[in-house]
Amino acid sequence: MFKDLNPILHSQLRLAIVSILISVQEAEFTYLREKTEATAGNLSVQINKLKEAGYIDVAKAFKDNYPQTVCKITSLGVKAFEEYVKDLQSYLNIKK
Amino acid sequence: MRFATGVANLLSSRFIEKNMEQEKELTGQESLELISRMISKAKRDYQDTGLSALLWGGVITICSLVSFANAYIKNPALEYIWYLPVAAVAGQVYISIRESKRRKLKGHDDNMMGGIWISFGIAIFMLSYFVNRYHLDQSAGLFLTLYGIPTFTTGYARHFRPMLFGGLACWVFAILSSFTPYPYILLYLTAAAQLAWFIPGLILRKRYLKANKKNV
Repeated sequence: MFKDLNPILHSQLRLAIVSILISVQEAEFTYLREKTEATAGNLSVQINKLKEAGYIDVAKAFKDNYPQTVCKITSLGVKAFEEYVKDLQSYLNIKK
Repeated sequence: MRFATGVANLLSSRFIEKNMEQEKELTGQESLELISRMISKAKRDYQDTGLSALLWGGVITICSLVSFANAYIKNPALEYIWYLPVAAVAGQVYISIRESKRRKLKGHDDNMMGGIWISFGIAIFMLSYFVNRYHLDQSAGLFLTLYGIPTFTTGYARHFRPMLFGGLACWVFAILSSFTPYPYILLYLTAAAQLAWFIPGLILRKRYLKANKKNV
């Protein structure tokens, strides 16, 4: 049914992460967790998958003595997201 | 030990279950809805607090009104009121630090907007220097022209009409000030500060508080 859709993005949580990151320059891990309502562990797993695919960059730092993880979409991620939306739209149009 | 292993297994199986749940197949419609929902969530959270606009709108309004009143009162001490914006820089620094600490996300145009407003601040201080150095009279038009630049740019880039019209109002007042005698030109500064910053600041503040209330 969705064979042509990018399998990395065609997952509820990963798609939610990328949709947030496409709208902003960068977002903290805590923000992504709050918005996606995912568990920290699951979010970490999905972020790692996106990172391995080269779709996002993950930077770890310290903010006010607390560890801070900041995620940012890469140009490859933007391209993949745009293609995914295009494929999705064409699928929905064909269905119509 | 067994207990610990059991707990670990349970946690692990729950984790996998949750993971699987998140990996469920999405329909095309669900995917589009998810994208749209997440983008609007991020957009809603990407709100200006409005504090900087309120600060500068308030400070310039006070300075220009006090100066206007002083044209009739003629109290030499009140001439120093224009040092108030210098003190307000400390307030701006405090607001900026506080906001950057609380911010969990950064917008695409944050750096550009920051650069525009910092260069505007530097330009205002340079203009003040030249106005005092060469004793330029009727300099309000120059300040108003400068006020319009970052205000209009912000309104234009962020599709925020109150600031767009506020920026345009600054330029209209700049032209009008060339036909208006002192001290009435000070009232243009008051009106510009209100239209360009204070009123947009109130709107931004209201939006920010409303969005934050929704997020609680």
